[in-house]
Amino acid sequence: MPRLLATQSHVVHGYVGNKAATFPLQCLGWDVDCCNSVQFSNHTGYGMDKVFGNVTEKNDLDQLLCGVLGNFPHEYDALLSGYLPNKSSVQCMGQHYRRYRNANPQSIWLMDPVMGDEGQLYVNEDVIPEYKKLALSPSCLVDIITPNQFELEILNGENIGNSEQMKSALLKLHATIPVIVVTSCDFKMFNDPEHVYIVTSMRGEKPILLRVPLIKSYFTGVGDLFSALLLDRIYKLFSSNDSSVRLEDQVNDVLNVIQKVLKKTLSYAPKLKTAKMGSASDMKDMELRIIESRDLYEGDGSTSRKNFIYRKL
Amino acid sequence: MLNHIEKGECVRTPKVLSIQSHVVHGYVGNKAATFPLQYKGWDVDVLNTVQLSNHPGYGKFTGHKAKASDVYDILKKGLLGDLNMTYDAILTGYIPCTDTLKLLSQTLGDACKKDHRLKWIVDPVLGDNGKLYVSDKNVPVYKCILRENRLFMVTPNQFEMETLTGMGITSLESLRQGFIKFHNLYPLVERVVITSMEITISDDNTDYLVCACCDFVAKPDAVHYFKVPKLNAHFSGSGDLFTALLLDCLLHPTAKQPLDLSHTVSAVLSLVDDILLRTMDLTLSKGDFLTNKPSVINDLKLVNCLDLLAQPPGSHTTTRFRPTSIELFR
Repeated sequence: MPRLLATQSHVVHGYVGNKAATFPLQCLGWDVDCCNSVQFSNHTGYGMDKVFGNVTEKNDLDQLLCGVLGNFPHEYDALLSGYLPNKSSVQCMGQHYRRYRNANPQSIWLMDPVMGDEGQLYVNEDVIPEYKKLALSPSCLVDIITPNQFELEILNGENIGNSEQMKSALLKLHATIPVIVVTSCDFKMFNDPEHVYIVTSMRGEKPILLRVPLIKSYFTGVGDLFSALLLDRIYKLFSSNDSSVRLEDQVNDVLNVIQKVLKKTLSYAPKLKTAKMGSASDMKDMELRIIESRDLYEGDGSTSRKNFIYRKL
Repeated sequence: MLNHIEKGECVRTPKVLSIQSHVVHGYVGNKAATFPLQYKGWDVDVLNTVQLSNHPGYGKFTGHKAKASDVYDILKKGLLGDLNMTYDAILTGYIPCTDTLKLLSQTLGDACKKDHRLKWIVDPVLGDNGKLYVSDKNVPVYKCILRENRLFMVTPNQFEMETLTGMGITSLESLRQGFIKFHNLYPLVERVVITSMEITISDDNTDYLVCACCDFVAKPDAVHYFKVPKLNAHFSGSGDLFTALLLDCLLHPTAKQPLDLSHTVSAVLSLVDDILLRTMDLTLSKGDFLTNKPSVINDLKLVNCLDLLAQPPGSHTTTRFRPTSIELFR
């Protein structure tokens, strides 16, 4: 079975970060080793005054990763990093992952540069230069990156207002990173409030635009589930000899799984559509139904459907 | 099937709070309990008392303990406070810090007194093979937890049972007396399952471990025990897995009522045995099987056992480990 090291947040209740990533990947046959960057009672959407627990201190995180990668220096087929709360935790993850990836060239590293969304940062500003260093340095070892448009703009250093600007931002980032998936584009890009637009881009190939019907509600943890499933599908893409399967097919497959998980989640809580941030009982009802979706993660197979593939960017 | 939408309605997802250790690599504590419970349809709230790189059986490890005040705040102010969680079950395991153990037991005890449907399962993790691996200050705290709370089930190993009762268990007779003494000391504990013991039952052979249980509510006059053939290997996390699967079999909303503890233990022993056998198959080479020396197996192969975990409870052949009953009071 393939083995993965995931460094991101842990919540006791609910499904974001490692709690959203772990179970689906385990169902897909991955041994998932979780390194928790925080332990919180629940995610921050419940309201900051309702979050209890602690951030794993810099030294503790460093010691932990030293122990893991010292004792298991060659065991990981894949590395995943997601939400990290501050500059030192990004640095720490970066140092350890770079060292491991360097010593194990056959492994793959998916970095979700979690910084914010729709123009708003939700990490400290000093995290930005750390992600820039990891993503843009000539010796970059990240294989896959999954920014949303806002995060892509931060890495790019310029706003992106149209497809041409998007293409040139992707080209720039491809200098260091082979696979880029932009997990959601700004509404203003395509003037279509009914869909979410996703861009997949493989170095040296034309970027492809996918779109999925928007399910109107506020869900937390979808991005974390997405990056976990994407890592599984890309690992399989890279290990397979079937050249007819393409990156966009695998992303299409992941998007189908996510849609089904969201529909399953909605089916358990019809009032979800009007749920409010900061209300503990609404937030509780809106947690992704990760457990109830147990049999959905396998997907339908990447080649059978291309229902969300829209056009070349 | 669990959790599937039937007749347009959603089957309720059972909720459990599991308070144990976390290891990044491998499967002990919460890592051994969480995935099997989730796979069987439980929404598991996972509260970690420590975060270690791997279990200590590897010889070297790094990590840190959660602060008592953080763990307390998460439980008291978060889960039971703002979130107002109602759990079907609470499972507590490895809690090495005495302060944490005291704070948690107070809070959980209060919660159980407030809500009589809440089922608390205590794995009184103190040590194994004659040795404590937590502070000896934790022993009186556990005695107090067992004395003062209506506990759905307690799952000590042999050493923990001996420590909690203050008497050695070496034979069926001392086992019987141990259960009597336990019940006298901790009359509020409803069920006890001793997960594994090395005791002599008869002269035939010694290649087995003994598991024993007593349901003081439904069958207060009988102890049931099982002889489980020893595998030629030492596993880490098998006890944590066993307790989690017992919890599922006894408390899942689809579990057969009324509960029969000895039948449930029998089914869970079979399932755990299957998982251990598969783990051995996947871990050991042919040469390992030929030597007499027991192999050390660090990691359960849980994600390789999806087919075994998918089977509904009770579908396991219950005849493989047949309970033998002994009368508690003669």
